[in-house]
Amino acid sequence: MTDTMFGSGNHQWVCPNDRQLALRAKLHTGWSVHTFQTERQRKTQMLNKRELDIILSVIHRAEQLELIEQHRIGRLMERLDNMKRSSVGNGLSQCLLCGEALGLLGTASVLCFDCCKKVCTKCGIETACNQKRAQWLCKICSEQREVWKRSGAWFYKALPKYIHPEKDSFMDRRPVIETEKQPVARSVPITYTWAHRKVDSSESDGSDSELSDASSDRKTFIPESITRRHSAVSESSGSVALTPLQSILNSPARASFLSESHSSLGSDRSSLAPAPEDENTDLGRTSLSAPVLRRTGSLRSSSSSSSSPAAASSATETGQEKNDDDDDLDRAFSAASASASALPPPSRKEEEPDMEGYDSDDSTTLGTLDFSLLYDQENNALHCTINKAKGLKPMDHNGLSDPYVKLHLLPGASKANKLRTKTLRNTLNPVWSETLTYYGITDEDMVRKTLRISVCDEDKFRHNEFIGETRIPLKKLKPNQTKNFYNCLEKQLPIDKTDDKSLEERGRIMISLKYSSQKCGLVVGIIRCAHLAAMDANGFSDPYVKTYLKPDENKKSKHKTAVKKKTLNPEFNEEFFYEIKYTELSKKTLEVTVWDYDIGKSNDFIGGVSLGINANGERLKHWFDCLKNKDKKIERWHTLTNELPGSGFND
Amino acid sequence: MAKADQRFGQRDGSDQNFDYMFKLLIIGNSSVGKTSFLFRYADDSFSNSFVSTVGIDFKVKTVYRNDKRVKLQIWDTAGQERYRTITTAYYRGAMGFILMYDITNEESFNAVQDWATQIKTYSWDNAQVILVGNKCDMADERVIPVEKGKHLADQLGFEYYEVSAKENINVRQVFERLVDIICVKMSERMDTDPSIISGAKTTRLTDKPTQLPQNCC
Repeated sequence: MTDTMFGSGNHQWVCPNDRQLALRAKLHTGWSVHTFQTERQRKTQMLNKRELDIILSVIHRAEQLELIEQHRIGRLMERLDNMKRSSVGNGLSQCLLCGEALGLLGTASVLCFDCCKKVCTKCGIETACNQKRAQWLCKICSEQREVWKRSGAWFYKALPKYIHPEKDSFMDRRPVIETEKQPVARSVPITYTWAHRKVDSSESDGSDSELSDASSDRKTFIPESITRRHSAVSESSGSVALTPLQSILNSPARASFLSESHSSLGSDRSSLAPAPEDENTDLGRTSLSAPVLRRTGSLRSSSSSSSSPAAASSATETGQEKNDDDDDLDRAFSAASASASALPPPSRKEEEPDMEGYDSDDSTTLGTLDFSLLYDQENNALHCTINKAKGLKPMDHNGLSDPYVKLHLLPGASKANKLRTKTLRNTLNPVWSETLTYYGITDEDMVRKTLRISVCDEDKFRHNEFIGETRIPLKKLKPNQTKNFYNCLEKQLPIDKTDDKSLEERGRIMISLKYSSQKCGLVVGIIRCAHLAAMDANGFSDPYVKTYLKPDENKKSKHKTAVKKKTLNPEFNEEFFYEIKYTELSKKTLEVTVWDYDIGKSNDFIGGVSLGINANGERLKHWFDCLKNKDKKIERWHTLTNELPGSGFND
Repeated sequence: MAKADQRFGQRDGSDQNFDYMFKLLIIGNSSVGKTSFLFRYADDSFSNSFVSTVGIDFKVKTVYRNDKRVKLQIWDTAGQERYRTITTAYYRGAMGFILMYDITNEESFNAVQDWATQIKTYSWDNAQVILVGNKCDMADERVIPVEKGKHLADQLGFEYYEVSAKENINVRQVFERLVDIICVKMSERMDTDPSIISGAKTTRLTDKPTQLPQNCC
């Protein structure tokens, strides 16, 4: 059977020469040489050039797949290596991974089943085995097992070839995108050579097919392309499992064999047709490589034409080129040409984000965040919908992260205006689908403020780690229009300190004012506060609101709301009434202060706001509107500041 | 058109969104329906016309089984003997085999034993095999009763299915069953006896692992 490959030119009675025997021995296929075959039998068993081309194209496709696979495994290995590198403990008195002290006084520990090192329960993973009782693995060994499963090493009993992302940084990790930019990738020169030759020599020798036969030039370029490709394969990590034929072909006998097979098969029906619609002309390769090898009258063609949906879908599947009016689509041939021209692939980057799922291909990227923002002008609310993140940078020993998203309004990042999502465990592609809402956002804020969205990794026993952030100046948003974002996360930017810190923001308060002509007095409503500054060690406050109508001769104007426990966004919904003549009111100033209630010590001042004729901006406007519109309740948000001009804050 | 097809092909090949990759091989006599079986599974298409496979071919399909995305690289082999050199070279990488015969063709059934021997000879020892009798829609022309197929499968220690690529009977089931079997093998190997990891530790990080399956062909 090896004769099929190598014995084509020999007379059947001639013993195979040493070189052929040596080559056969390399094959380990165990097939004996049938020297009794007649010339005719032999001829039918030889692979003709057409068949060879088809097989080569399949091998080529397989090689592509294998290369991608090797990169994938390389990334898995890199992740594992990173985990190993970042382990800090000794595995005896400390947790192997996080270095936490173990033992009676320290954290509870478990023994990893695989490496027999001690880890804390957080860095260990309990695996349920079908027969045996549960066993613990450290995260490294657990990951190692996972790598063995994912790479197929479990089956082959050793890790297959892989291409480490670091070593291979000059090459694309995602061949689809980057080969196009960097023609250093190994397949490009092949394609080029192949194509180039085709164009150079296009003589046709008579064949029985109605189309011209380009095999004469192919006899030249095929061996060369194979050589090229093969050397490239051995340079990189070689995918022998998938390309056994390559080793067969990469032999001194190859070239002669191929040309012989050609000459013995003058009736080959392959033809060269220029690819009509390949718009890729970059590198000059596609127009060259695009000439599609089409075979007419082949067996394949009958199947393709008889089942065109099948052909179409198969073309879709295998990356082939299909021609509308050319029913004569040869699956393998067009696959070859398509994959050849697709090697330095067309720029279709927009497809990419969908494709990267589990593996974030670029270790340097922090990930992407998908979210949408809506400013509800009427209700002064900013709705931030955090949809999902993709390809986050792994932060934990297990190569994963426990991500959550927090929001801040800048300037003034403090706990007061922090919102956060829930934490999702062990994922680099978290889907939160949570909407977080800032209340009390004024139009002024929408001009002035920037929303900072940070993705962090939650760690139970350590400080939470920052993964990446993105910032949206709120002025980018149009009122009442949802805007979707799909942003790449960036490294932490320094908080812009240039903004005025003179009046530090302490939160927001929503106040309603109404002058009731019927009751002859001012109705002050304290509706709610938003993102108040935290005054207590627990990160919250116990806020209540006091109001004064000043000047206040009798000190009777003080009103207090109830205390809301442990919140930075209290809802009060309380109304206070000041009996006052309308004419008097314009001379007064309403002073609203928010306090943090503390048992046993003096209450802390959170912030305040004054509304009156001497105020300015929103505060003046609110007051003015109230005076102007009797018997009309006017609600407004106001910013609390840490000082009230001209007023004493003593309780 | 051409553009779109290429793009799809590219996407399919480079789709990295999967957990495991299994390599499967379909073998059996010529014209038992290996290619049709694969086309039915991968493309849900069927053609009555017979086209002899040239050497080898493969298709890629990702399935979702047991909470895992498994990318299948399914190799279709030529049944004709003249391609045997090439096809047997691919046995080495296959984790699972679909050994197919044609229930209307006694010769193809009689060859099953030989194919099984081929698997034993060329594949990795723990490769999983399912015996499949194709063309079960052609009841009138049946020459191999179900029992006979079952009996042979038992003898060989394979699982057994009768299928029809034409009528889409049991096609998906065969692949899914094979994936399941391989998954079970995998967790047996990795979760109960992970010693192979430590055994291979020395070779693991070297550039030329000695035990590579690739080097054996």
